[in-house]
Amino acid sequence: MWTYILKRLLHGLFSIIGASLLIFVITRLTGDPVAMLLPPEATEEMVRQMRATLGLDRPIWEQYLIFASHALQGDLGMSYRWEMPALTLLLDRLPATIQLASAGLLFSISVAVPLGVLSAVYRGSWIDRVGKTLAMAGQAMPNFWVGLILILVFSVSLGWLPAYGSGSFRHLILPAIALGSYPVAAQTRIVRSSMLDVLDSDYIKMGRILGASESVLVWKYAFRNAAVPLITVLGVYFAAMLGGTFVVEVIFAWPGVGRTVVEAVFARDFPVVQAGVLFTSVVFVTVNLLVDLSYGVIDPRARVNV
Amino acid sequence: MAAKIRNCFAVGLLASSIAFVGSAFALAAKDTLVVGFTNEATTLDPNKVAGTADRFFLYQMFELLVQPDRDGKPMPWLAESWNVVEENGKTRIDVTLRPGVRFHNGDPLTSEDFEYSFQRESDPKVSRVASRHRKVERFEVIDDRRFSIHFSEPDGNYVASFLHLAAVPKKYILKVGEEGFNKAPIGTGPWKFVSRKQGDELRLALNEDYWNKDHRPTVKNLVIKVIPEELTRVAAFKSGEVDWIDNVPLPLVQEFKSMKGVTTLSVNGGNNLYFDFPQHNTKSPFHDVRVRQAVAMGFDMDAIIKSVLYGQGRRYTGVGTSSPAYDPSIKPYAYDPVKAKELLAAAGYPNGFDTPCYNMTTQREPSIKEVGEAVYAYLQTIGVRCQIRNVEYGAWVDLIRRNSNKLDGITTNMSAQGIPADPGNTWASSTLHSYQPNEGFGAYSHTSDAKADEMVEKLQVTMEPEKRDVLIKEIARYKYQNLLGGIPTYEPVMTMAWRDNVDFKPWPFPGYWRAFQEIGFKN
Repeated sequence: MWTYILKRLLHGLFSIIGASLLIFVITRLTGDPVAMLLPPEATEEMVRQMRATLGLDRPIWEQYLIFASHALQGDLGMSYRWEMPALTLLLDRLPATIQLASAGLLFSISVAVPLGVLSAVYRGSWIDRVGKTLAMAGQAMPNFWVGLILILVFSVSLGWLPAYGSGSFRHLILPAIALGSYPVAAQTRIVRSSMLDVLDSDYIKMGRILGASESVLVWKYAFRNAAVPLITVLGVYFAAMLGGTFVVEVIFAWPGVGRTVVEAVFARDFPVVQAGVLFTSVVFVTVNLLVDLSYGVIDPRARVNV
Repeated sequence: MAAKIRNCFAVGLLASSIAFVGSAFALAAKDTLVVGFTNEATTLDPNKVAGTADRFFLYQMFELLVQPDRDGKPMPWLAESWNVVEENGKTRIDVTLRPGVRFHNGDPLTSEDFEYSFQRESDPKVSRVASRHRKVERFEVIDDRRFSIHFSEPDGNYVASFLHLAAVPKKYILKVGEEGFNKAPIGTGPWKFVSRKQGDELRLALNEDYWNKDHRPTVKNLVIKVIPEELTRVAAFKSGEVDWIDNVPLPLVQEFKSMKGVTTLSVNGGNNLYFDFPQHNTKSPFHDVRVRQAVAMGFDMDAIIKSVLYGQGRRYTGVGTSSPAYDPSIKPYAYDPVKAKELLAAAGYPNGFDTPCYNMTTQREPSIKEVGEAVYAYLQTIGVRCQIRNVEYGAWVDLIRRNSNKLDGITTNMSAQGIPADPGNTWASSTLHSYQPNEGFGAYSHTSDAKADEMVEKLQVTMEPEKRDVLIKEIARYKYQNLLGGIPTYEPVMTMAWRDNVDFKPWPFPGYWRAFQEIGFKN
């Protein structure tokens, strides 16, 4: 077990180094951030000075080594734009993003699980068809559109919930729905097909023969086994939401990580972009590992003996 | 595409079907005013100002020596008086500070604070705008209320930019350090810093001891919310969550103007848009003035403003319309495709020619891409066959920065002349004077013309406002006749909206209409 974890950690480390290297090179291929930092009247000498101050006058491999050695000590550089440590900038905004991603995921699960289970249990019925339609609608509508419709209905027309901002549970509801509506379709389909497989298995049939109630069979015996594929997808979605809630963050003026990183891309704020990508790769690797390990907890058959 | 969908959404749903939620107004507490801004400042330190959006936050709390009044005329502000003095072939500005001004912590404002502001701002390690002060030889403190700024050579931009310097509290910064000042900035302005949550809001409280009793806010608290998405900003306004917003989306401006219970004001946003080309390159078709004239006559900018910008743009001809030197007798080139084709033929292009046409996108001017598309479509019809290349802002900066030498066709361009407009700095440093990197000339200029250079250099050393205005008009005419420094197209119009229960008097500068010098609730 420990060897397996160690192996996975090593693989993860390579992935993180690869991602950081890639983003480091790509950002520098897009051009010189100094042109966007200094006013036009700056002389060439001032441009040279600024480039030297930011370390951009060194060869790219040297810049990367400096970045990597500082990163190992927890220093991801100073934001060119905000003039504060890039890591502090991201960490300041991380709680808002975790809050939004968790709420979005919670919303999607709370819709997808009952919908998927009911669609499987009542396969081919109107419940199944309605579930399918609802789920597909969620996937078909872009986040920003869902967000705007929610604002229009619940903030402007009804006045029930705030249109934007953060800080309270009421602020969280609309962005969480906008963010969580997209993965509902995939999660519902996974739960449904996985439940269909399990409901068709011998031990469920045996349970029925032995007279176990249908709800106990469905929720206690079938769903627990059917949940494993869902957990894999949930892990990936959660990781993706942590790094990719940009659109919803902009629509709801939510002060999260995604918005910060995308704004940094437009401003060529290299340290923040690098920190953002590094953060996202660490999250992906960690979440994937945790998801894999969780299989063993949920399903004893999945425990590895490597 | 997303923007178009959003626009349709805006017009189709928000604009037509939503009743204004009047009852929601009552939710706003009467001692707190909430405003929604599109953009956020990256710094709260006036010596580190980097972009226009910084000014929106900074100049609630900080103040300058001189600033234009609401009609654009310079008026002494923290300076009680100031004079440009020529003595022994040298130039200096003598300043006497207004008595009785105090920082938010109670410390009195003295000459040493401005000396410190100058030292910080002219140090490239602290400030990115150190180049503003490159012609200042020394700063001399005479006494607590008097100081002189000595120049190595006259600097017209210093006067045109209202002496640049903001009051920063020397004692306080030395005590709390740079980080402490950044976390809790204090100035002399009408609003005191309370708290800031980046990406979300800035909270301010009324400065009860503010020196200017004639022009001051009347509400106790001000909350500036950052709401980048335009339709969310509109929704927040309509739902009563905010009392004032900037940048009403262009398709909704007319609806806002006719909305009950709402006041709007459409103003010059401070940016100046134009199309540029490599006039300096003798091998380029655009080196020939007839080709440049053909391009200027080859598109109908009035129609584009009306249809693409929903009327929210103002024509200009080289000098911003808010400048005292704006000359209305210079009219924009009229759309004349027949004459444009004749000019092209006379220049040796009877069948037209192919050229790259760069179309820049930026969040700052959301419709600039659509304007570019329209102009380039027009140019096809006169024979300037555009190979359109869309470029993101960062890549575009690389394209137009002269040291890259990449521009080989037409490009959309913009260069802010500010409010009130003064083109002196942008003509010299950026767009008109030929490229001379070591002098700080023409960093983005694709023009090379000895007479234009000479006139721009003369403007650089002209400090008297009246003489500057005369010279600016001369340069503008020469620039217009020879189509140098690009073809001016329009100044974007920015519309602000606030509820009728808000008493707001807009000041154009230094906060670009967003510094709340005078705001409150009506009784």
